[in-house]
Amino acid sequence: MATIYYIIMVPMVYIAVAVFFIGTVVRLVKLFTQPKNPSTLQIFPEKRPKWLWALHDSFLLPTVRKHNPLLWVFLMVFHICFLLLIIGHIELFESFAVFQIVPHEIFLGKGFLGLLLCIALLFFLFRRLISPYRELSVPEDYYLLILLFLTVLFGSQMDWARTWYSYGELGVEDYREYLLSLLYLKPDIPANILFAGHSFMLVVHVFFANLFLMFFPFSQIMHSFLALPINKLRRG
Amino acid sequence: MDQNTRDELLKLFQGKLNQAMRLYLETCTRCGVCTKACHVHESMPHVKYIAAYRAEIVRRIYKKYFKAQGKLWSSVGQSKELTEMALEELYEAAYSCTGCRRCMVYCPFGIDTQMIMSIAKILLVGAHAEPEMLSMLADMSIEKGKSIDIFKEGFLTGIKNLESEVVKKWKMEAGDTAIPVDVEGADLLYVALAGAHSIIPAAAVFNAAGENWTLSFFEAVNFGAFVGDPSRTKLILERIVNEAKRLKVKEVCICECGTAYRVMKQLSGKQPFEVSSVTEVHARYIREGRIKLDKSTFQGAITYHDPCQIARNGGIMDDPRYILHHLTDDYREMAPDPRYNWCCGGGGGLVALGDETLDFRMKSSKVKAEQVQGTGAAILSTACENCHTQLDNLNEHYHLGMDVMFLTSMVADALVQN
Repeated sequence: MATIYYIIMVPMVYIAVAVFFIGTVVRLVKLFTQPKNPSTLQIFPEKRPKWLWALHDSFLLPTVRKHNPLLWVFLMVFHICFLLLIIGHIELFESFAVFQIVPHEIFLGKGFLGLLLCIALLFFLFRRLISPYRELSVPEDYYLLILLFLTVLFGSQMDWARTWYSYGELGVEDYREYLLSLLYLKPDIPANILFAGHSFMLVVHVFFANLFLMFFPFSQIMHSFLALPINKLRRG
Repeated sequence: MDQNTRDELLKLFQGKLNQAMRLYLETCTRCGVCTKACHVHESMPHVKYIAAYRAEIVRRIYKKYFKAQGKLWSSVGQSKELTEMALEELYEAAYSCTGCRRCMVYCPFGIDTQMIMSIAKILLVGAHAEPEMLSMLADMSIEKGKSIDIFKEGFLTGIKNLESEVVKKWKMEAGDTAIPVDVEGADLLYVALAGAHSIIPAAAVFNAAGENWTLSFFEAVNFGAFVGDPSRTKLILERIVNEAKRLKVKEVCICECGTAYRVMKQLSGKQPFEVSSVTEVHARYIREGRIKLDKSTFQGAITYHDPCQIARNGGIMDDPRYILHHLTDDYREMAPDPRYNWCCGGGGGLVALGDETLDFRMKSSKVKAEQVQGTGAAILSTACENCHTQLDNLNEHYHLGMDVMFLTSMVADALVQN
C-alpha cells in the first residue's frame, strides 16, 4: 500500500504536472503562431473599448445570463469557487500577503467551497443526460465532469474529515512540507500525511487531480485559456 | 472513399485552419446555450439543427486528423473518419445553415458557425458534391470577368433600354445620361445585380442627388462565397476591385445584396476606394439634404428586416432606420431588437438554389414569419436581394398579406422633384 501511495503522491504528480505544462504550452504556442484570419469576424453593434468587452464576455458570461439564467448561476458559482480553490492550493505552498487582503484561514473555505463545486458539477453532469444536451455531449464531457467531481469530493471532505478525527493531523504545515519538497525536487512525504486516519482521501484526491491535469491539455478544458482570445474575435 | 481523395480533401481542410478557425474548433464545451439561436431549430426542433451539433460534425473530423486526442484516444471525443457518409452529413449541416451568425450572439465564446461550415462547404466542393447550380453560377461570373468584351455590347444595349424607366422616376436635363457606364474619374462605382429592379431605382436616386457615378459591368453577387470556395470568391471579387481601380473611383457602392456587401467590405483588403452599401449612401444623401423624400408616398406601418450580412455581420443598423423615419411616421421595430433579428432563412445560397430548397426554406423560417407578423406592419422593407425573395416567398406561404419592398425602391418612389 505504501508503494502505491508513494507512486501516486510523487512520480505521478511530477508526470501529471509535466504533461499539463508541456501540453498546454505546446498547444498554445501552436495555436498562436498560426496565421490570423484575413478579415474581421466581429458582430455588431460594436462596443468600445473592445478588449474590455471581451474581458466582460469571458468572465461574466453575459450571453449565458441572458439566455439560460439557471445555467449561469451554476457556472458562476463553479468558476468562482474553482478560482478560490486554486488560490487556496497556492497558499498551501506559502502564504501570500496579496491573498490575505481578505483575511482568512488557510486552507480556504473549510470544505464548503468544494461542496458548492460538487453541487454545480452534479448539475452539469445531470444536465448532460437530458436532451438536447445529451446528443450534443461526447464522452470527454462526462469524463471531465466525473474526474473533477471525484477530485473535488475527496479534496473538500478532507477539511471535514479533520474535524471528525483530530485537528492536529494533516494540517497546513504537513501539506506545506510535502508540497515544498516536491517543488524543490527533494520529494519527501511527512509521516502525518501517510498515516493520518483520512490519508486515503488525500491520496485519492491527488490521484484524480493527476488524471485531470494530464487530460487537461487534450480536452475542451483548454477553454480556460482560449475564452479570452476567442471572445476578442467576436468583439473585433 | 479512396485514400487519394481523402488526402486531397484533408489538404483543403488544412488550408482553412488559421488561428481563428482553430479557436472555433477547439473551444466549444457543448454547453448548448446556442440551442435557441438557430431559426431552423426553433422552427423545426431537431438536434441536428443546433449550431453546436452542426459544428461538431466538422469538429469530429478535425479531431481525427489534426488533433492528438483523436489520434491517441479516438472514442473520447467521438472523432470521425472522413467518408462518403460523413460528406452527406456535412452537406446537410452546411446547406441547412444560412450563415446568419445569430448563434454567435448566444455562444459564451462567440464561436462562428458560418466559418466552421465553410470547411464543410470546401470539402463538398473538393468532392464534387456541392450544389451544382451554385458552382455553375460562380464559374459564369468568373468567365464574365475574363472576357468582358464579349458581354459588353449586350450589356450596354440592355442598360440603354432601362434609361427611360430611370427618367420616369427622376426627370433629368436633356443630354444627361441616366445610367452612366464606364466613366473614368467618377466618384462612385455602383455595383448592381443582374436585374432592372436593382439598377433603375438606384440610378434615379444617384441622379437626384447629383452624384458623379458610374455603373459597374459586373453583378455584385458572389456565388463563390455561397458555395464556400475562397479562390473563386476572390476571383469574383477582384473583377470589381480591378474595375474600380481602372476607373479611379473614390467609393464602391454595393447594391442591396448582403453577401456582396460583406465580401467587398471585409475581404477586399486595403484599397484606394471606400466600400459602402447603397443604404449608407442613401442615408448620407438625406443627411446632407441632397435628396428629399415624401412621407405620404407609402400608406400603413412599415417594418424593416435586417439582412444578417449587412446588419449583424456588416454593422449597418442605424442607416436604414434613419431612412425609414423619413418615409413614415409609423415605423415598427421587430421584437425584441435588431441584435436578435431572425434570419429570413434564405442565406448561404439557399435562395439561389430556388425551388429545390423552397419547402425547407418555408418550414425552417416559421419563426421569421411570426416575427414579421408580430409587427402588424403593412409594408415589410429590406435591403438584400436574397432576403427579399425569401420574405416574398414567406409572405405568400404564411399568408402574411404584406407588401415586401426594397428600401432602395421605396426611396426612389418617394423622391421629391424640386
